[in-house]
Amino acid sequence: MELAKDEYTPHTAYDELLDRDLKPRPAAQHLFDYLNSLNEDELSTRRQAVDATIMAMGITFTVYSEAGNIDRVWPFDPIPRVMGRKEWESIQAGLKQRLRALNLFINDLYNEQRIIKDCVFPADVLEGSGNFRPQCVGITPRFGVWAHICGTDLVRDKDGTVYVLEDNLRVPSGVSYMLENRQIMKRIFPEVFRTTNILPVDDYPTRLYQMLASLSPREGAQPVIAVLTPGIYNSAYFEHSYLAQQMGAFLVEGSDMVVGADDIVYMKTITGLQRVDVIYRRIDDAFLDPEVFNPDSVLGTPGLMRAWRKGNVGIANAPGAGVADDKVVYSFVPQIINYYLNEAPILANVPSYLCMIEDQRDYVLANLDKLVVKPANESGGYGMLIGPRATQEERDQFARLIRANPRNYMAQPTLEISTAPTLVDGKLAPRHLDLRPFVLQSDQLYATTGGLTRVAMRKGSLVVNSSQGGGSKDTWIVEDAS
Amino acid sequence: MMLARVAENLYWMARNLERAENTARLINSTTYVLLDLPHGATFGWKNLAEIAGLDDLFAKTYPEANEESIMRFLIEDEANPSSIFACVKYARENTRTLREVLPAEMWERINSLYIYVRQNAHAACKSRRERYMVLNEVIQQRHAIVGLFSGTMPHDDAYQLIKLGRNIERADMTTRILDLHSAISFSDESVVREALVERIWMSTLESLSAYQTYRRLVSMHVRSDDAVRFLLQDMRFPRSVAHCLSEMEACFKLMPKSQQLQQLTILLSLKIAQHDTSKLDAAALHEYIDVLQMQLGEIHDALLQNYFHAWQDGVLPPGQTQGEIEFAQQ
Repeated sequence: MELAKDEYTPHTAYDELLDRDLKPRPAAQHLFDYLNSLNEDELSTRRQAVDATIMAMGITFTVYSEAGNIDRVWPFDPIPRVMGRKEWESIQAGLKQRLRALNLFINDLYNEQRIIKDCVFPADVLEGSGNFRPQCVGITPRFGVWAHICGTDLVRDKDGTVYVLEDNLRVPSGVSYMLENRQIMKRIFPEVFRTTNILPVDDYPTRLYQMLASLSPREGAQPVIAVLTPGIYNSAYFEHSYLAQQMGAFLVEGSDMVVGADDIVYMKTITGLQRVDVIYRRIDDAFLDPEVFNPDSVLGTPGLMRAWRKGNVGIANAPGAGVADDKVVYSFVPQIINYYLNEAPILANVPSYLCMIEDQRDYVLANLDKLVVKPANESGGYGMLIGPRATQEERDQFARLIRANPRNYMAQPTLEISTAPTLVDGKLAPRHLDLRPFVLQSDQLYATTGGLTRVAMRKGSLVVNSSQGGGSKDTWIVEDAS
Repeated sequence: MMLARVAENLYWMARNLERAENTARLINSTTYVLLDLPHGATFGWKNLAEIAGLDDLFAKTYPEANEESIMRFLIEDEANPSSIFACVKYARENTRTLREVLPAEMWERINSLYIYVRQNAHAACKSRRERYMVLNEVIQQRHAIVGLFSGTMPHDDAYQLIKLGRNIERADMTTRILDLHSAISFSDESVVREALVERIWMSTLESLSAYQTYRRLVSMHVRSDDAVRFLLQDMRFPRSVAHCLSEMEACFKLMPKSQQLQQLTILLSLKIAQHDTSKLDAAALHEYIDVLQMQLGEIHDALLQNYFHAWQDGVLPPGQTQGEIEFAQQ
C-alpha cells in the first residue's frame, strides 16, 4: 500500500492515522499491518467489491437538480478512520455533558428563562432566533428533554485538539450511513476484524427504539412508534426507511395520519384508524403542523401540536428544540454548561466572533480573509464564506450581508482540520474529514461508539457535506494497546 | 396492523414484478411461435401490443409496428407503464417505500434486478439471441425474489397482499397469453393450418412453463380445447386462472374484513369451472377472455376500495365527523 508522498508535505494538517514521520499511530498499527499485506490487485478487487456492494445495497442519497431528482450512490472510502478507546471515552463524556446542558437550556428558554434573568445569556440573542417557537412556551416535555437526538460535528485542529463545530438538534441525519459503512467493511475486509478489537456500533437502533418508547404516553402498552418522513424525494429518505426497518417502526408520511377532536394521533391502516404513541419526526418544525406553523405545508399532519401539548403523543425531537441549534447560541455553550451543570466543558468550542456585538463585528469585517463566516440558521454547509479561499468580490458581498443583518452571522478562525489517508488512484492521499457522533437523551444518555466520518473527497477541499461532493468512511474505535 | 399506503404499495410492487416476468414470458413465447411460422402465415406484431391492452399508447409513439419497435415498446420504453423496464422500475420505487416491512435482502434483490434490466434492456431489443438470454435472466431473478418472499417473510398481511398482487396479475396475464392465438392469421390452406395449430399451442404452453405439466397431466397430444381448459380450469397448474383464484381466496380468508372479496372470488371461480370451453373458436375465446378480464378487474377495484381507502369509511376518531376528516386530508 503506497502513500501519495507528494501530498504529505511538512505543512499538511494533523493526520488521524499517521504521525509527523508518516508512521502509523498506535491505534492504526493493526490496520496498516493488514493493508501492507495486500498487494495492489487484492486492494483493487476489494475496491470494486465495495462499489458493487454499495450499488446492490442501494445506499443512496438524493440530489435535487433541474434534470429531476437523482439517486446518487453514497461515496465510500474503504480506509477506515481509527481512534483509540481512551480518547473516544473522553469525547463521549463531553458529548453527553453538552447535550444534558443544552436540554436544560432549551427547557429554561421555554419556561422561566432563568439564564436570561441571570444575565448569562442575552435576551436579544433569543429575540433574533429564527428557531424559537412561541407556540412551545410553557411546555415541559417528559424528562424535561427537548432534543432527544443530537448529531454533533467534531473536527480536529492542527495541534490535535478536538473541537465541536456545531450541534445539530433539529433533524440530524447520517446515522444510517454509519451503520451501513460498518456492514460494508465487514463484508469486504472480514480478516481485519479478527486481528483488531473494533468496538461494535450496531446497538444504535435498539437504543433509539428504547429512547422513543420511553416517550410513549401509554405506559405498559407496547407503544406504536412512527418515523415521520417528508417522503421518497427527501435526500435522507433512505435513512428514514432504514431506521424504521431496524426498529420495526411504521414509516409514515404526514397524510398517513390524522388527529381527532380527542387530540389523539391516529394513522390510517388497512382496517381503519390506529393510535400512534410516539413520532420520530424527520421534517422541520415549520412543516410539522399546518394548524400551528406553515399553513401551506402538505408534509405534516394538522393537529399534531394539539396532541403533543396535551401529552397524547411523544415527538422527538420536540418542536422548538432547534432554538439551541443556532450558530450564535453555539458560541454561548461553554457558559451554558457552566451555568446549568456547574462543570467545566469537556469539549472545546471553536473560538467564535459574534457579528451582533460591535467590536467583534469590526474584527470580523477587518479580517474576512482569515475567517470562516457562517449564517446562524443554515445547515448543510450552505451560505458560508471561507475567507482565505474566497474572492475579494465574495468577501465584499459578505461584508454587506453582515452589516445588513449582524444577528444572523458569526465567524470563526479557519481551522486546519485533520486528514486521514484516503484511497485515491490506488494510493493513500490525505483528505480532510470531520466526525458526527449521535447522542440520545431521554431518561438516559447514550452516545454512539464513534460516529459518521465524513470526508472531503477532493484534494484540499474542506467541505464534507454529501450534498456537496463529500463521502464517508467507517469509524473504528479500537482498544488501546496495553 | 398495516398502513393503507404501505398496503397499496406492496400490492403494486407484486403486480409490477409479476407483470415484468409475464411480459418476458410473452415475448419469449412469441419469438418461439415465430420460428415455427411457415411462409404462408403472417404474424401481426401490432397484436402483441393489443394483447397487453396497449395498442393506443403504442400507436402514439411508433409509426410502424414491426419486431423492433414492438420490442422497444414492450422491453425498454419507460413511457409504456407495462414495459419490462418500467415495471421493474416501479417495483423498485415501491420497494423503496417498503423497506421497513420487507426482509432486508428483498431490497437488494429488487435493486439488482433493476440494475440488470437498466443495463441490458437495450441490447435485448436489438437481437433475438440477446433477447432470449436477457429475458430468461429476468425470469430467473424474479424466481429468486419469489423464493425469498416465501422463504423469509412472515405470513402476515403484507405477505397476503404480495400474494394477492402476484396472483391477480398472473391470472390476468394467463388470459392474455391465451389470447395470443387471435393474433395469428393463417392462409386459407387448411393443411398449413392443421399442422400449425398444434405447434402454436405447444409454444403457448411452453411460454407459461406449462407444456411438460400438460403432457403429464392431460395428454401427449396438444389440442386447443384441452389446452384452453387446462389454462383456465385446471386447479393443479399454478398459472391457471382457477388456481390463481383459489390462491386469492385463501389470502382473503386470512385478511381482515374480507367477506365481500371472498364472495366475489368464489363466484368467479364457480363461473369459470362451469363454463364449457370445448366449443370455443378463436372469436368466441377472445370474447370470453374479455369477460374474464373484466371480472378480475372488479375484484381489483373492490380490493382497492376495501383496504387502501379503508380508513375513509372506517372507524372515525372519537368526536370527529367525516367532513372533518376530509378537511384534514386537504
